[in-house]
Amino acid sequence: MRRSIFILLHTAAIFAITLSLLSGFRIATLTKPYLLTIAALLPSGQVHNLHLLSASLLLSLSVYYLYFRMSIGRVTSQSRYHRVVTWLGHVSLTICLISGLLNYFDLTPEHIVSLHYYSAVAIVAYLLLHSWVYIMQFGCKAFKKILLMSSKHVPYKLLAALSLCTGVLFFFINSLTHTLNITPISTQVLMEIDGLANEPQWQNAHTFIIDTANGANFANGHTQVQIKALSNQHETFFLFRWADPTKSLQHLPLTKTSQGWKVKENGFYLFDEQSYYEDKFAVMLSNSCDIGADGTSHLGKKPFADKPANWHGKGYHASLDGKVRDLWHWKAVRTNDMVLADDNYIGPLAEPLSGQRRYKAGYQTDGKESGAYVMNWQWYSPSSITPKRLPTHSGNDDKPVLPWFGSQPYHQSKDIYPIGTHLSSVLYRSNRFEGDRADVRAKGHWHDGFWTLELVRQNQTQSKYDVALNNDTCIWVSAFDSSQIAHTRHQRAIKLRYSL
Amino acid sequence: MIKRFLISVLIVAVAGVYVIFSDTIIEPIAHPRYTKITAQGKALSPWQGPWACVLDHQHNLLWEVKTDDESIHDGYWTYSWYDHGLGKANFGDCYFEDARCDTQDLIRHTNQQALCGQNNWRLPTEYELASLIQPPKRPGQPYIAYDYFAHIKKGDYWTSKAKVKLQQQFAHLKQGAKAVNFHSGEVVSLPYRNAAFVILVSDITGTYSHTQLSSRDTSTTQ
Repeated sequence: MRRSIFILLHTAAIFAITLSLLSGFRIATLTKPYLLTIAALLPSGQVHNLHLLSASLLLSLSVYYLYFRMSIGRVTSQSRYHRVVTWLGHVSLTICLISGLLNYFDLTPEHIVSLHYYSAVAIVAYLLLHSWVYIMQFGCKAFKKILLMSSKHVPYKLLAALSLCTGVLFFFINSLTHTLNITPISTQVLMEIDGLANEPQWQNAHTFIIDTANGANFANGHTQVQIKALSNQHETFFLFRWADPTKSLQHLPLTKTSQGWKVKENGFYLFDEQSYYEDKFAVMLSNSCDIGADGTSHLGKKPFADKPANWHGKGYHASLDGKVRDLWHWKAVRTNDMVLADDNYIGPLAEPLSGQRRYKAGYQTDGKESGAYVMNWQWYSPSSITPKRLPTHSGNDDKPVLPWFGSQPYHQSKDIYPIGTHLSSVLYRSNRFEGDRADVRAKGHWHDGFWTLELVRQNQTQSKYDVALNNDTCIWVSAFDSSQIAHTRHQRAIKLRYSL
Repeated sequence: MIKRFLISVLIVAVAGVYVIFSDTIIEPIAHPRYTKITAQGKALSPWQGPWACVLDHQHNLLWEVKTDDESIHDGYWTYSWYDHGLGKANFGDCYFEDARCDTQDLIRHTNQQALCGQNNWRLPTEYELASLIQPPKRPGQPYIAYDYFAHIKKGDYWTSKAKVKLQQQFAHLKQGAKAVNFHSGEVVSLPYRNAAFVILVSDITGTYSHTQLSSRDTSTTQ
């Protein structure tokens, strides 16, 4: 019976570790582009669920194995080499499980954010030294030894208990959320959305702190976000503050070269710019709180068989359960002067359009009646572009947004700028957004290495692309440091708690 | 032992080859009805640009494409309906005329320019323009294939159908012209004096070089 239990545990461990490694390396492709070279071997789609499920199984197995070893002792005899390798495996697996749990609970200290990944790499090394060497030694007999047992010896009760534990653990961990207590204020209180947070009500508000990680350009990919929230009967005010040593207001700037104007970029052609992009901040809202950004993360180059692949190979956001997730997207250049966050949503898969090179799956903007920012190029090409407008005087050539009144339509005769001149690529062609897309007022202010963002929205907007703010609402926050899509993230949702 | 080693090397090699050759190629899919055409009359693939006209295979027409570059084709300009004495001259808003603008101004300028190699630009018929109506594919977009007809506004676009009897609040003005509203996807009747948008159309004549349109230029990339 001891041998049967060992074979069951060993087989389940092979299954769980394989699934964990493959799904984990897929998640790691978001921050480690070199892993994209083996992306074809990795699963795609909603891999966060897969990862949590395999981790739950691995955790259940580990706990039972510990009990098994302590109560029964060693089952197999091993050479000294294999004893050392097994010890390496146990250490790696233990570190991987603990660091994974810390990551999931958003408790990982900043300087060991990558420990989970490197312990997973150590497990791969262990598998080579353990499994591969056994196969070299014993060939197919190795499989017979660890996989085969008679059906009458299968420990069904243990199998059922492990399955039950795994399921319970999965649903329990998945249901855990953070809580953001929202301080009530009177409708008479005047809050100015200016990014300064100098209203006394902010001082009295509860502060919630969350570590977000794996974003481009932040130190170790990490930044801590402080969140406060106030609410009256009609609106909820949010205050976000996060560390970002660099105030990035250069948004795909244009530069004059000997071949003409070019867009300064590092990844924009693949829609993954990571150098010449404005700072941004995003808040996702949903009335469910599941793992993987509430099930909207679909990783991989082509996670949907009948939809186009993405250019960066990282994945898409989409809601496949029929529900809409709200997404507020504040942009330090394009929307900050409008005192708005771009009101977007994550919905069902959009129909691909023949003429659009970038397919965005479920991530779309709410509709608008008018208002727009436009890019200051007539047609984007990585080799050269023609600006739509040129500044009328030199004071306007280094502003983050090229003012309409202060610029003139491009004409070759007026293009007398010397090589090396920089020019903004963002133009406000008309007024700020109006309509559904303008539901979220927001203003950010950068000071001494920190962005402070004040944001407000009505609790109910009547828009089918918005999520109501109430006690069932969960939020997720992400900071972008000079990057287009490579944002920081946290695992557990933050549940809003109103006291009204 | 050597055999086992070689088999494992072979497995790794097969996996390596699979990884190398399994990369997904991303390619555009041609639109069943529309093709982008440059200002010089060359056909483009769906992701190429810039394009100045759209070839409509269904009706064998060439459509003007609006822009946001403040040229005569800018999508923000509006025009009153006017044709050689009929209608109301110079009641729209644009930057390219000293006076204000009407539909005849845009037609004249576009023919002088020989946009996309054509000099027979005109207002579309009600049937032609209404055939462009399709439900929006994204929230808030107009009722048209916005990936080909960028910069189309959610407003009224003139057709050539004039001398239409006006109803209700416009009845006292007696006659006007038909327009297509791409906000609602409906055909409406408007007074000539209204400032509405315009998208011009051109018949592809027998003398027009179709070989230009059928050739796929790949030199312009997005």
